[in-house]
Amino acid sequence: MFNSCFARVSCVFLLLFVAATVMAEDTPRSTVVADSFLNQGRLVYAESCQHCHGDQGQGIADGYDKPLVGDDSVGQLSKLITETMPEGEPEQCVGDAAEAVAAYIHHAFYSEAARVRNRPPRLTVTHLTANQLRQSLADLYGAFYGAIKKESSRGIQARYFMTTKRNDDNKKIERVDSIIAFDWQDQGPGGGIQPEEFAVEWSGGLKIEETGQYEIVIHSTCAFICNLGHANREFINNRVQSGDKVEFRKSIVLTAGRVYPIQIELYQRKRKTQQPPATILLSWVPPDGVQTILPERNLLPVTPPPSFSLQTKLPPDDRSYGFDRGLSVDRQWDDSITTAAVEFAGVAINELWPHYQRRHKNDPDQHREKLRSFLLQIATTAFRGPLDDVNRQFYVDGQVDQSEDDAEAIKRCLLAVIKSPRFLYPELDRDRSVSQRAANRIALTLFDSLPVDESLLRLIRQDKLESERQVRGAAERMVQDYRVEGKTHQFVAEWLNLSRISEAAKNPELFSDFDLALHADLKASLTGFTQSVIESDASDFRQMFLANWSFTTAPLADFYGEAWERGELTVASDVAAKSPEENAVEVGPAGQQDDSIQESADKQEAQQERHNHLSLAVGDSGRIPHRRLLKTRSADSQHFGLLSHPYLLSGLAYQDSTSPIHRGVFLIRYLLGRSLRPPDEAFTPLTPDLHPDMTTRERVQLQTSPQSCQVCHAKINGLGFVLENFDAVGRYRIQEGEKPIDASGGYTSRTGQEIAFQGVSELADYLAGSDDAHRAFVNRAFQHFTKQPIAAYGARRLDLLTEKFRENDFHIRNLLVEIATIAATQPILNSEPESNLHRADVTRRQGQVGKLLRQEGTP
Amino acid sequence: MTNDSPYSTRRNFLRKSGLSALGVNLALGLPSLTRATVEKPLRKQRLIFLFSPNGVIPRHFWPDQLGADFDLKRILQPLAEFKNRTMTLHGVCNRIRGDGDGHMRGIGCLLTGIELYPGDIQGGSDTPAGWSQGISVDQHLKNCLQADSRTQTRFGSLEFGVMVPERSDTWTRMSYAGPNQPLTPIDDPYQMFDKLYGRVKNREMLASVLDGLSDDFRRLEKMISSDDRLILQNHLEMVREVEKDLQLEMLAAKESSNVGHAVPSLPPNVEEKNDNMPQISRMQADLLVNSFVADFARVATFQITNSVGQPRMKWLDISEGHHELSHEPDSNEAAYEKLIKINTWYCEQVAYLAKRLAETPEPGGGGSLLDNTTIVWTNELGKGNSHTRNNIPFVLVGGGLGWKMGRAMDFEGVNHNRLLMSFCEAMGHPVDSFGNPDFCGDGSLTGLV
Repeated sequence: MFNSCFARVSCVFLLLFVAATVMAEDTPRSTVVADSFLNQGRLVYAESCQHCHGDQGQGIADGYDKPLVGDDSVGQLSKLITETMPEGEPEQCVGDAAEAVAAYIHHAFYSEAARVRNRPPRLTVTHLTANQLRQSLADLYGAFYGAIKKESSRGIQARYFMTTKRNDDNKKIERVDSIIAFDWQDQGPGGGIQPEEFAVEWSGGLKIEETGQYEIVIHSTCAFICNLGHANREFINNRVQSGDKVEFRKSIVLTAGRVYPIQIELYQRKRKTQQPPATILLSWVPPDGVQTILPERNLLPVTPPPSFSLQTKLPPDDRSYGFDRGLSVDRQWDDSITTAAVEFAGVAINELWPHYQRRHKNDPDQHREKLRSFLLQIATTAFRGPLDDVNRQFYVDGQVDQSEDDAEAIKRCLLAVIKSPRFLYPELDRDRSVSQRAANRIALTLFDSLPVDESLLRLIRQDKLESERQVRGAAERMVQDYRVEGKTHQFVAEWLNLSRISEAAKNPELFSDFDLALHADLKASLTGFTQSVIESDASDFRQMFLANWSFTTAPLADFYGEAWERGELTVASDVAAKSPEENAVEVGPAGQQDDSIQESADKQEAQQERHNHLSLAVGDSGRIPHRRLLKTRSADSQHFGLLSHPYLLSGLAYQDSTSPIHRGVFLIRYLLGRSLRPPDEAFTPLTPDLHPDMTTRERVQLQTSPQSCQVCHAKINGLGFVLENFDAVGRYRIQEGEKPIDASGGYTSRTGQEIAFQGVSELADYLAGSDDAHRAFVNRAFQHFTKQPIAAYGARRLDLLTEKFRENDFHIRNLLVEIATIAATQPILNSEPESNLHRADVTRRQGQVGKLLRQEGTP
Repeated sequence: MTNDSPYSTRRNFLRKSGLSALGVNLALGLPSLTRATVEKPLRKQRLIFLFSPNGVIPRHFWPDQLGADFDLKRILQPLAEFKNRTMTLHGVCNRIRGDGDGHMRGIGCLLTGIELYPGDIQGGSDTPAGWSQGISVDQHLKNCLQADSRTQTRFGSLEFGVMVPERSDTWTRMSYAGPNQPLTPIDDPYQMFDKLYGRVKNREMLASVLDGLSDDFRRLEKMISSDDRLILQNHLEMVREVEKDLQLEMLAAKESSNVGHAVPSLPPNVEEKNDNMPQISRMQADLLVNSFVADFARVATFQITNSVGQPRMKWLDISEGHHELSHEPDSNEAAYEKLIKINTWYCEQVAYLAKRLAETPEPGGGGSLLDNTTIVWTNELGKGNSHTRNNIPFVLVGGGLGWKMGRAMDFEGVNHNRLLMSFCEAMGHPVDSFGNPDFCGDGSLTGLV
């Protein structure tokens, strides 16, 4: 009965079930249906529907071939059937019959609960995803040096010396520079330093939010050296200032959630000939492709431990489940692991092994004991637990014995270790202690990585991760980490589907200043905003919609007007709204941080130099923008967190007009977590030229007016229209052409509740309190952090976790702690703690857990 | 196209557009002319520039007797075995002026024949300087050879070093890919090995660990449910396939190694430190010979230390640094004697390389590698304590350039640019000038062939 209508009316969105994407269970209400009523529905279905939809709603090739699955309520289904089914003769199935068949379909296969029951999702053994491999190798390296604590201040530590010899006697200025962009002409850097000869050393951390290719660009008329990742890892070498070569560029892949030591030594050398004026400017081209001065928010004035970032290109992961999972095993992947192992062996040979030898100078070294211990340490870290004799023999001793050369032995060992299933499949750890397994899962969930931090290793050694309380305690401590920040950043991008918003092109006749640079500012602003919400003390999810502020730059304020002007001096960093002193440090490049070294006259000079560095234009590259991210003034009615953010609104729009449909689909699918099927055919929107008198809203209404379209577009349009106060670039407007904006709309929730909105403010209020929005966020977060479907942890797990989220005042970081706790306890721990797991026990318990899951899956 | 068109013929087009035939092929993606027309294979010609620093002791270096009956002085004695394949070129002077001290210009202009840029590297005297303003002759020849499919090789050129300090400045760089583009010589034999054979070696290692990995897969399989086993089984199956492919690959490699492409083996754990210099020098020479056998490159540089190099040749019972000694006046007999010993040691390195080349058959042809290779042993200075760049040491060994060897020659003060031009000519790529044209008057040197 559904078939022909759906087949013909192609713009109807059918609710889609991606086979294995397990979504939330439906409301309990819908499952409370009397058996006889269901029976009646089953009969109706068999008689009128089955021949086109298949006996289990799976669809049939000659009839309607898509499965009947979705998240409408019984009531909504019933209404749909009454109005449209059977196709062409809807009057044949109305009233009780329609209700009964809707109830049956819903119960038997349509609803999420039915699907969980029919094919209970299970935890699957997967290999490390590309990102997990990248992060795990970073920590395999980092395990030798320790981790960096979170740091609230920004900028880079600077030491200025009066000669090119950098020692304490020669040091004249020590301070934090916000950015490295100086044009000292022939005046020298101040502080009584002679311009003919001086040296400057900047050192600190380069904090990375997004994994990708970065091009570091240094312009300097002086000799300099830039080390990145390790004090001895020379990145750009310009030891010799020669001729008019002033631009130096080099690319590198950097990893999200990592802070890399960066050091730049600049030398103005005394010479007999005339010196060129002294300038230096540190800029970069981040993955979004717009060159800017390397911003203060990415610089830390503390030097982190050495860090490794894998340069090997890794193939993308399987996303058939809607999120990255390590499921595909093929030669390309295998080759990339080999290349990665060889690359890692390189740093192990050049950096880790000498470091280890220095630290174990006095250890005995008969039979190359030191090398064996070194490699055993790597293997133990990589395998997330100790090696037994057989493994030790193969992975370590065997490789050492086969090669007289240490470097070769290291490479052999690392090829074996990194290609080992023990490293690549983190779930294969059932021979490990309970605490070890819990730690492995917390690290994998929160960091995408290995457990390497000393505090965590101690808990493993002491068997102190055996109860849920202990695990939660560990997760609470670990959530304050840059690695979590990096993973969360990536999660937000998934939640908001940001990868689709790369198109920044707007009609230049209508929006002349909306260029790539402005778009990059918007991206930075959105990142600053979401980070700020998440990292604030309240970490309140509702602020994503309710915040009456955002982050802005000067060009954004110029383009978007008053609401985007900066407020108090708060620089976006990972810590929102810090104390005024810290703000001052972050804003002022010089002076405030100085020890008593500097005289006040020097401070003036420093002030002067601040002007210099902000107006620096460099060679052929022209002016490289320096965009400082500042908080907007609060209490502006035009800001509603994400909902009013132009990065999203311009991304969900056409070149010259808005797209309520894109915006509506975004709200339904991503923010409210409802399923939508794409239309069977692509439709070109009606062009404004053909309907010059109509508003965008009116055109969309016209195009989607057929009743069959309305089945779905009533949901989409109703949400999309609410954002009509924001034009194609996300600028606030109250009229389109001559007509006032109509920003009314509505939404029918998963439970069938009808809500009407008048403008973005009411939508924001609704989303902040909406169960659908909460569930969507919790579900996405769970998938992203665990790489497993949440229903695999129990059919009611999503309900329970959403409830907990609500009880915790929607605290996002606490949610992550809960997710890590579930991932680290569920398949491992029973309610009673156990000190040791034997394989037989584990196997038996796995069986029980499986059974439990299946039972839970049954409503 | 009418005949009035300036590009009416292909030849006209080439001439007027200033493109060489090869350039056009590259630019327009046309099939190679050289491949289209069958030409007889060219003789392989190879050129090695071997550098040692701080000048020589001329009295014990340069033959007194010119011509074929020349005498080998003390320093050149190690070359006795190759006397009839050796040529000494006295009277060639590096007259490039401009910024930089003698040592800087000595090495920086040696193979480039052009001035250094102004810069901030201040030497002991003269004005400060930066990098060279031009390409060096080895890189120029590499580009020429690589642009011709008949002489193309995997790397084109290889830059070897022996104990070159971890410091890139005008004194430590001899080879330039272009203006302001110094090339870093690879002075770690293991790193060079990795560049030459890393991939093959990694494949070998991989092949040798896969079997053990398969065993571990099997052990782990038992630990998990049959549902989860599938991904592991797929993985294991793939590992086995890779293993099989690698075995075939190794077999093929072994077969080709029977015709001389063997992957050499290096002694283990040789640290890069002063006292290991003799061993490192040999390892590098062996790798260089091997890379020629495999035809990885036709041009190489072999830079022992650097301009102003300070090795302490304790193995010769000399504890002072070389540069320090080289400043001593000739009247300091002890220093004088030590400098002769040091230079003799450098000559031994030349002789070792020559010997290795001579005893290695030319793959696919008659004779030895040395028949088709010329070693050019040179230096940044003529004499250490005077910093002169007149009479720069140029001692050539081997038949790569096709010159008439077994002679001592004296050019009585020609610019060294003209010798650089001669190298180009002898390698089949004559030039109108090399480096600064002002020093190229009268063209390449005559009387060499």
